[in-house]
Amino acid sequence: MLRHLRLIPILLQMNLRAQMEYRGAFLIDRLAMIIAYASAFAVIWLLVARFDTLAGWNWGELALLYSFHTLAYAVGASFSFTQMRDLEEHVRLGTFDAMLTRPMSPWVYLVFARYNIGYISHISLALALMTWALLTIPIDWSIGWVAYFLASLLSAALVTASLMTMLGATALAWTRSNHLYSLYFGFWELSRYPLNLYPTIIQGILLTIVPLGFMAAVPVAVLVGKPVPLLGDIAPIAALLAGPALASLAVLFWRFATSRYQGAGG
Amino acid sequence: MSAYFAFAKSAVMTQLAYRNEVWANMFGKVVQVFARVAIWLAIYTGATSIEGITLQQMITYALLGGIVTGAIRYETIISMIGRALQTGDVAVWLLKPVSFPLYIIVSELGRAAYRLVVLVIPTVAVVALVYGMLPPASIFHGVMFLAYLALAYAIIALISTLFGLVSFWLLTSFSLEWLMQALLNLLSGQFIPFWFFPKTFGDIAAHLPFAWIVYYPAAVWLGRMDVAGTLIYFGIGCGWALLMAFGVAWLWRSASTRVIVQGG
Repeated sequence: MLRHLRLIPILLQMNLRAQMEYRGAFLIDRLAMIIAYASAFAVIWLLVARFDTLAGWNWGELALLYSFHTLAYAVGASFSFTQMRDLEEHVRLGTFDAMLTRPMSPWVYLVFARYNIGYISHISLALALMTWALLTIPIDWSIGWVAYFLASLLSAALVTASLMTMLGATALAWTRSNHLYSLYFGFWELSRYPLNLYPTIIQGILLTIVPLGFMAAVPVAVLVGKPVPLLGDIAPIAALLAGPALASLAVLFWRFATSRYQGAGG
Repeated sequence: MSAYFAFAKSAVMTQLAYRNEVWANMFGKVVQVFARVAIWLAIYTGATSIEGITLQQMITYALLGGIVTGAIRYETIISMIGRALQTGDVAVWLLKPVSFPLYIIVSELGRAAYRLVVLVIPTVAVVALVYGMLPPASIFHGVMFLAYLALAYAIIALISTLFGLVSFWLLTSFSLEWLMQALLNLLSGQFIPFWFFPKTFGDIAAHLPFAWIVYYPAAVWLGRMDVAGTLIYFGIGCGWALLMAFGVAWLWRSASTRVIVQGG
């Protein structure tokens, strides 16, 4: 365990150097991502500019929702998305076998040697928007509120990383996983909006089978004092527990999937 | 010509090999379309019509909005060009008696045709069964919708190819995929039709080529444009397509004189 902790900074440093090799392309890519995310947000802005509110949420509240979603996603995905998406290819090509033979956990190696610093674009956009939103919405500032904000953000990041890890790990057991990501991103787009926008069945799915509701809609509703459909009074505690609970599930699933791993054959 | 038909056909056959993914994709799409309709239902709460657009018309617009962008993947076109550049495959294409940009376009159109039939039309049908969908405003509008649809596929394929070819100068295609997404989000009308935009912004967007990808086909179906307007804007759209086809040819010519394949 201690050895792993010592190795992590070295892996990160190695990876940072590799990603900085093409600095110009890196910067252009970051700029493009900021523009793309800003445009998705501009769409919501256009809607609210025309119709004042969306499902009872005003512009500032929606900005907090969107920035919370983007920030939690970016933090969680930097530890999981590209790494887990590429796992299918590692299984197919047999390069995952090489990770198994290293004197360290394949998960630690995969996640930290390929840690994605590209999410800096999401993080900067989200922080700027979040600062603006927090100054705009009337908030009853207190230590409790700030603590809840940070804890639920961490929980939301864990939700993202856990789900991504479980999707990726299916490649270990069944050699394919990438089609699951298109399913994931279908729901992911829904999780940028307030839950009460949707019919009950979609709300139910977003709180159970595909628990992306906990990425932003539930915690931000709690933070701005809006009722949370289906969950009601247990929403505040559910938002805090969702991350740790899913992370534990992801650990178990990763272990199960690695134990089932037999290579892609051939 | 038959070579390009074969490329398109082979792209369809490749898709057929991955049928499981179709189910995952379809489920994801149905959810997405449901969500977009849900947004409009929420906005129309208590109102029967906004700016002369009824809820039923808006739902129909949301359903039609995915017909082009749900079938064709602009990111595949851009990344295929980027990858050919990165791996040096582009040099091999220069030796072949077929045009590389045209090959990229027809193979993606082949995949788009496949997705249109097995993915998009069933998705639209499922959501239409739940929420209902209006028929075309008239036979004329129905026929013109099909013409606009063909034009929409041509325009999105050409714009994506233009974007992809820019990677010969930028040496990254990743950023171009994201820029294209940003432009489609705002200027194609795929989330919000232009009639709900602030006036000036809407007027500008309605004359940029992205408008022909989502907005015009749906507006024609709904009969938002009269006979003359429908024909005139079809002409303008064809003009854009022609201009972009020239753009692709020109960019490809100057790109191919720039190619330096390293190593060997």
